[in-house]
Amino acid sequence: MSASMSEPGLRRLEPFRAIFRGYPAAAAGLVGVVICALIALLAPVLAPQNPFNQNELDIMNGLLPPMGEMMDGSVSLLGTDAVGRDILSAVMYGMRTSLLVAILSVSIGMVVGVVLGLVATMRGGWVDAIIMRAVDLTVSFPGVLLALMLLAVFGSGVDKVIFALAIGIWAQNARLVRAVGLSEMKKDYIAAARIGGISDLRIMFHFLLPNAISPVLVILPMAISGAIVAEATLSFLGVGVPITEPSLGLLISNGNDYLLSGRWWISVVPGLVLVLMVLSINVVADRLRDHANPYLQAKG
Amino acid sequence: MALLTITDLSIAYGLADGRELEAIKDFSLTLQRGQIVGIVGQSGAGKSTIGKAILGLLGENARISDGEILLGSENIARFSERQFGAIRGKRVGYIYQNPMTALNPVLSVGEQLIEAIEANTHRRGQAARDHAIALLTSAEVSHPEERLSKYPHQLSGGLCQRIVFAIAIAAQPDLIIADEPTTALDVTVQQAVLGTLKRLALQEQIAIILITHDMGVVSQMCDEVYVLSRGRLVEHGATARIIGAPRERYTRDLMAAIPSVDEKRPRFDVLDAFEETPGRRRGIDYLKSGIASDVGQTILLSVRDLSKTFKGEKRGEGFRALDQVSFEVIAGETFGIVGESGSGKSTIGRAILGLVEPDAGATISLAGRAIASGDRKGLSQRLQCIFQDPYSSLNPRMDAGTNIIYGIVAQGLVDRRSARVLAEDLLEVVGLPRAASRKMPHAFSGGERQRIGIARALAYRPELIFCDEPTSALDVTVQAEVLNLLKELQESLGLTLVFVSHDLAVVRQMCDRLIVMKAGQIVERGSAEQVLTEPGEPYTGQLLAAMPRVLRSAEPS
Repeated sequence: MSASMSEPGLRRLEPFRAIFRGYPAAAAGLVGVVICALIALLAPVLAPQNPFNQNELDIMNGLLPPMGEMMDGSVSLLGTDAVGRDILSAVMYGMRTSLLVAILSVSIGMVVGVVLGLVATMRGGWVDAIIMRAVDLTVSFPGVLLALMLLAVFGSGVDKVIFALAIGIWAQNARLVRAVGLSEMKKDYIAAARIGGISDLRIMFHFLLPNAISPVLVILPMAISGAIVAEATLSFLGVGVPITEPSLGLLISNGNDYLLSGRWWISVVPGLVLVLMVLSINVVADRLRDHANPYLQAKG
Repeated sequence: MALLTITDLSIAYGLADGRELEAIKDFSLTLQRGQIVGIVGQSGAGKSTIGKAILGLLGENARISDGEILLGSENIARFSERQFGAIRGKRVGYIYQNPMTALNPVLSVGEQLIEAIEANTHRRGQAARDHAIALLTSAEVSHPEERLSKYPHQLSGGLCQRIVFAIAIAAQPDLIIADEPTTALDVTVQQAVLGTLKRLALQEQIAIILITHDMGVVSQMCDEVYVLSRGRLVEHGATARIIGAPRERYTRDLMAAIPSVDEKRPRFDVLDAFEETPGRRRGIDYLKSGIASDVGQTILLSVRDLSKTFKGEKRGEGFRALDQVSFEVIAGETFGIVGESGSGKSTIGRAILGLVEPDAGATISLAGRAIASGDRKGLSQRLQCIFQDPYSSLNPRMDAGTNIIYGIVAQGLVDRRSARVLAEDLLEVVGLPRAASRKMPHAFSGGERQRIGIARALAYRPELIFCDEPTSALDVTVQAEVLNLLKELQESLGLTLVFVSHDLAVVRQMCDRLIVMKAGQIVERGSAEQVLTEPGEPYTGQLLAAMPRVLRSAEPS
């Protein structure tokens, strides 16, 4: 232990390890998250076939059950769907799309929300009023309904789904940053910065932002798992990602018609993966939040 | 038999990494019925830990590792939580530092007092209510009947603390632990509140352990004193003996650090070594080259007809924080602004510094030119501020060095690389090591943070520094060090200081001239010497009379 700790890289990981030590569920969740991320990243390398290359698909392989033997003699581990697509491969690619959409929408929503929250805090007055009423308006719509409406107007597509989800996310971040920011604004170090002739822009990003960002970072993983589920819902409803880049939600939806005819694997396998992925992220997020909480309180 | 006997008490806190920190080591104390003893020491000395141990209120990570606490004949050091429940509030009462947080804000004070009476005596209903009024009367609360229906936020801090006293004596305890009972109060009420506490203790034959950092409070209240430093008992004895002839160096330093309102001394006689390093000399040279030190009769800052009205909730309703305030500050002097909390003294500073917009008609000019509040950058090199609360005045996400130089680098006054060296030089100027530059604010104590704040203000090489109660959050010895530093800097740099304080003794040590504020108006002005020795206004006289003085004459009360 002490020998491995002396490695500088490992030592840097030490505080991170301490967060999960003694929390087996959270540690298992962390393993799950890492595996999901690796699969999503390396799907083209890992997957037995490219499920969206028409040339690799053969209708003769259609609806094989798990462990079924394909025409070329290879075994399909988790079965195939109606057009002979290998479910394992489809799920690997589906995770890629699901995670991509979730991470991008949360990132965009977070950046926009944090910046607008900071501007509202810093400027106050009518700027604050306009931004915060926009927040109120946004959060008063159910998220999925809002996304449905936007997608109905703009049409579907990966970029549009990301945009629609980000709309739901910015508002909560803006509200959170403003709440913390307002209490920071009262502190003397902000007054000192003003007296020191430091511009509002610098105060915003070098004084306010680093001191108001922690709660946003704490809810970040939660937001990502939320976005994964929201995207799956939209795709299941048929307004999400296009059929050429199916996400887990779309895969579940595809298999829906076959559920009652005994071909359960087409829906259930992506469904289980979705559950495991979201569960892993949530367990890790929960632990991170608990870990961060004493600091948040102590800061007050 | 003694009421309370503590023998060789040691208390250890478990740290996150499994080690133990000894907060208290071999502490012993004997307390007789009706006696008042003081435990004094700097913050972090472990004073409150002892008080909490007697009540079984130590945190889960703390344990009594050795020794015993005998209350009567029972060793409460080994008590369970349930056993403590039987003595807390009933045999041992507790008075907190801040009465506003000690009282429940959603219950009227009457409900809280009557609850305490019903829980501890056989009085019920009207009898309890009558007793509540009697208790408030003996705690010297005026109009006790009306007060019963009031909520804590409707009453002043002093009144709230008196109500806390009444609740504490409702159970007729043998012992009350009073943890800094007047630190959160204004000086003018502090004296009266302490007087009430002492009278109650005598009248009810209640012993008091008074935990405080204030030697003035000790000399006024206590029969015996225990001086604590880093968890160890330094010395103890009769108050007059400790104050008149302290045996230990630590106690002597503690005494020397207490500012006197009756005489001005050039420096506090405490250990503070400034090593004359090349870095420090470089820092001083940098400051000297930028701060014009033409000490003379030139008026540096002139404030005319400064008023400030804060808007109320409703239209037309407003609160006049400042009313036609005019004064002038001469270059090179230390100008004092004195008053109780709420007198508007800090608002003057915020208006001068451009943090609040004064009402129309005010003129604030610096060296003859009116201050343009829009010109934040230009102003920053002429006016700076040292804040009251060292824990909120530094950006917690920047290291000490960056905190000091961020502003002057952002304005392009110095380039980034030489600024880093400058930050280290300035740290040496204020008496901190160069290496402090890389440490984050949370790694510093309050006094050290205050020094960093001073270095930040100095970095701009301002003509005038506004000091907003810079030491009121600090321990008396740390206060002495910081005040010495300010005096030293002023002498070597010819700085002009505006010094805001509620503490007349500090003002006496620091200021040349001063104004006394009350409810937004100046009630008296003049030289510090004259105002503080022969006050012309009754209000100033009241403030002076309320200052706790350390009775150095060795006569027991």
